[in-house]
Amino acid sequence: MIVFVSGGARPGKSHVAEQCVLQAANGKPCFYVATASVYDDEMAERVAHHKAERSTSSSVSSWVTLEAPLAIDQAVSQVPDGHAALLDCLTLWGSQVMFHEEDDESEPLSTTEGFSLLVRCLQDARARNITSVIVSNDLNEAPLPNGSETLRYVEFLQMLHRWLATEADSVIEVVAGQPIEWKAVANL
Amino acid sequence: MQLFIGGASAGKRDAVKQRVPGAGWWRLAPGQRLPEVAHVMLPNTPLVLHGLFEWLTAALDSDFSSDEWRAQWREDLQRLNQTAAEDNVALVIIANELGRGLVPIARDQRRLRDLSGWFTQDAAAHAEQVWYVRHGLLQALKG
Repeated sequence: MIVFVSGGARPGKSHVAEQCVLQAANGKPCFYVATASVYDDEMAERVAHHKAERSTSSSVSSWVTLEAPLAIDQAVSQVPDGHAALLDCLTLWGSQVMFHEEDDESEPLSTTEGFSLLVRCLQDARARNITSVIVSNDLNEAPLPNGSETLRYVEFLQMLHRWLATEADSVIEVVAGQPIEWKAVANL
Repeated sequence: MQLFIGGASAGKRDAVKQRVPGAGWWRLAPGQRLPEVAHVMLPNTPLVLHGLFEWLTAALDSDFSSDEWRAQWREDLQRLNQTAAEDNVALVIIANELGRGLVPIARDQRRLRDLSGWFTQDAAAHAEQVWYVRHGLLQALKG
């Protein structure tokens, strides 16, 4: 099963997504595919905040973190069949696909390769009965500079979002901590 | 009239193509008054008006205040609706949601965001149906 959770800045997307994963995991270990590269103090603080949230929100299940700034397929391949994984977040992963750093150890990807990788990765997870919960940010409802890299990035991200919304069994928008169901699944 | 609104690359065109097949498409030219599109209307054929972003961007160059624009839009939307009804033309307008991000630093961008919001409100008031398109999914907001 695929669940797509998105919203603006800080409405509680990760919390809603974590609850989905915990529910699907039903006491089994949960997997956290972290796309964040810690490159400064602020990012370290954000990562620490999300880790603390996960440890307090799960009384029974434990979380296993898999770091994947680009190779989310390799991370997901480590999740055992029938388990649940949270990919947080697609926005950052998309930016790392598009704006690949020279000193990054992983191979650069084109946007087409990035898109294929995501599709392959989630289809593989679905075939192995893994519940994949993907978190992303809605960035497309504001004026965007014409012909800029930002616009190209938002277009790429929207391509991923549109595919996800079609493919996902459940699509959730989070506003002020409240989940709004755009596409619902009965057993979630 | 139907209004489809959504952010950049939200899937608005595909949604319209799916729901209004066989429609004519007209990109609004900068400075064009809405009732002027009557000349491209074909009786009994739906007409999709798009290109709102560039059309509203061109409106930034005018000396009109927001109130003057709104007065003109309301009058024009009414006339456009009337003409379309006479020819049995189902009208569709595709509009951009620009109002949910940061307040832009550039004055022009702030004004564009305002005009876009006002136009969308006025068009929605004249529309029987309003659809919100988000990541290719649709939600009916009106009708």
